[in-house]
Amino acid sequence: MLRRRNLLTTILIALPWALLLTLWHQYPTTHYLSLLRKETDENVTSKAFLNGTSALREGGLPSCIRQQQSTGATPRVIQSYVYSRPPPWSDTLPTIFVITPTYTRPVQKAELTRLANTFLHVQNLHWVVVEDSPRRTNLVSNLLEKAGLNFTHLNVETPKSLKLGLSWIPSHTPRGTLQRNLGLHWLRDSFSNTAPPEGVVYFADDDNTYSLELFEEMRYTRRVSVWPVAFVGGLRYESPKVSPAGKVVGWKTVFDPNRPFAIDMAGFAISIKLILEKPQASFKLEGVKGGYQETSLLKDLVTMDGLEPKAANCTKVLVWHTRTERPTLVNEGKRGFTDPRVEV
Amino acid sequence: MRVKLKNVFIVYFVVSLVGLLCALLQLGQPCDCSQQLQAERRRGRDRLLAEQWNGGVRGEPRAQGGGQALPTIYVVTPTYARPVQKAELVRLSQTLLHVRALHWVVVEDAAAPTALVAGLLANSGVPFTHLHVETPPESRRRPGDPPWLHPRGVEQRNRALRWLRDTRAPGESGVVYFADDDNTYSLRLFEEMRSTRGVSVWPVGLVGGLRFERPLVAGGRVVGFHTGWKPERPFPLDMAGFAVALPLLLARPEARFDPRAERGYLESSLLGALVSPAQLEPKAGNCTQVLVWHTRTEKPKLRQEEQLQREGRGSDPHIEV
Repeated sequence: MLRRRNLLTTILIALPWALLLTLWHQYPTTHYLSLLRKETDENVTSKAFLNGTSALREGGLPSCIRQQQSTGATPRVIQSYVYSRPPPWSDTLPTIFVITPTYTRPVQKAELTRLANTFLHVQNLHWVVVEDSPRRTNLVSNLLEKAGLNFTHLNVETPKSLKLGLSWIPSHTPRGTLQRNLGLHWLRDSFSNTAPPEGVVYFADDDNTYSLELFEEMRYTRRVSVWPVAFVGGLRYESPKVSPAGKVVGWKTVFDPNRPFAIDMAGFAISIKLILEKPQASFKLEGVKGGYQETSLLKDLVTMDGLEPKAANCTKVLVWHTRTERPTLVNEGKRGFTDPRVEV
Repeated sequence: MRVKLKNVFIVYFVVSLVGLLCALLQLGQPCDCSQQLQAERRRGRDRLLAEQWNGGVRGEPRAQGGGQALPTIYVVTPTYARPVQKAELVRLSQTLLHVRALHWVVVEDAAAPTALVAGLLANSGVPFTHLHVETPPESRRRPGDPPWLHPRGVEQRNRALRWLRDTRAPGESGVVYFADDDNTYSLRLFEEMRSTRGVSVWPVGLVGGLRFERPLVAGGRVVGFHTGWKPERPFPLDMAGFAVALPLLLARPEARFDPRAERGYLESSLLGALVSPAQLEPKAGNCTQVLVWHTRTEKPKLRQEEQLQREGRGSDPHIEV
């Protein structure tokens, strides 16, 4: 009888612990851990599948793609990430909208490919690619779809009159202006001023080089943030002059340092909120002297003392204004030596 | 009922029994913790990424999940100091960081490893080996020499071959690819080359004065080469257009690049000792797709910088560019 009572006591003591164990199994964190293990397995298999397919468009993408049916006029937007490579979209991080004007030339696919390889590392990045062409080209469309980034594909052709130069001084032709303005226009159409999203806008040309650190520096911009840029203005780098108090007080450039904003296109980022607040601010096309294109936008948005210096008070170089050589296609000859159907 | 210990125990056990029954019932139902779960997951990943960025050096790069059975791709990059060096290596590292089972062998043309490259490699997150060997003075380019006068990067690539032969085991699987720091590589290229058994080849864009150069393929074998420049070469390929299986390199310890090779014959000097053209393995859709481009970066105009340096007012040399 004593033994049975002991047994009963042991069982009744063990019961609460069993209860605790079952509840612990349901607790979100541990559930998340087991799901995570399952998820990484799934990711590995999906990667293997995608690598095994042919060069043609891969099928079998996850079904959570919301696509607008594309006509000629409406831009194509993919709102959720479609591939395992970019970091998953976070609802808490501000979004970085990168506006890249591009135009058809031999190195275009190469430039956009390596730019995409860079952006695939950045979380919550939305790439707005604006082609200088009458129609969206297949080359860029296919590249954007296969890359796996969240993107918007727009196009606007620069009229020939602008390409040749409005004024008779050739250096004053603004390049990429219409395209960047279209990018800004799309942002203002897509988001309302009453409920602006958390994020920044960055103008990234397709031939520059960007470090991954740069995107984290610009992510939390409140108005307009600035930082040094390498290989511009004939210098190793140009940078804003920052006072010990951490405010921008001037510009360390040789070329016209008295410009209101003596900074390169790659040297600043603007918060979305500010873009939506000031809907008339855009890059000016006419009457813009060489080196003043950035000023034509920024002067309507902010003054110098409102600028936020990044990159350790503008002492680190995180972006390089590299330019790619134009390839000499001398052996192509008049009729083209290589098969024109092969995309390069 | 009097407060006896026995009663307390009975109440305690009854309550816990009831609770256990409730929990058992709940187990059968779908749990509505999905939102909480997503929030947890997001917070976890935000924290992870924040740590990665703040920490600088990454331990295990994200790209390397589950890659034990994969042959390692050894990417050999010769590099030399010039203004755009850091920019080139940074953007190359951003591409390589996506590729699983990759080992980057960077060989500097320098007498000693530089802090710039060492720091960059450490922060890149790519598994790497940092070597250096200086090009001998007679092969070095003097100011005024055209760039094609001496073959470039030869000693550096040979140094990498020596490292591979010294440190890799004879049976180890792997693929060796010579990637210059100014070219552009798509991610698919690395998966194409991974299955190399001997020497594999594919088209290269924007090289040899053409939109692309490529091997000609018939019946799955290489039968010729489509090139507009010196097509009489035994292997009219660019350095970026082929990869060599590691076992083959280890089996032929004398195969290396010839520093005295004539212009355009550098690739042939290595490949001639390894395979014959008929044995080349065509990749990239039987050599119909361009997955690598021979881009070149302009030399930046630093006129104002040089002017300032002459006046003694050059930019802060402590700021690394």
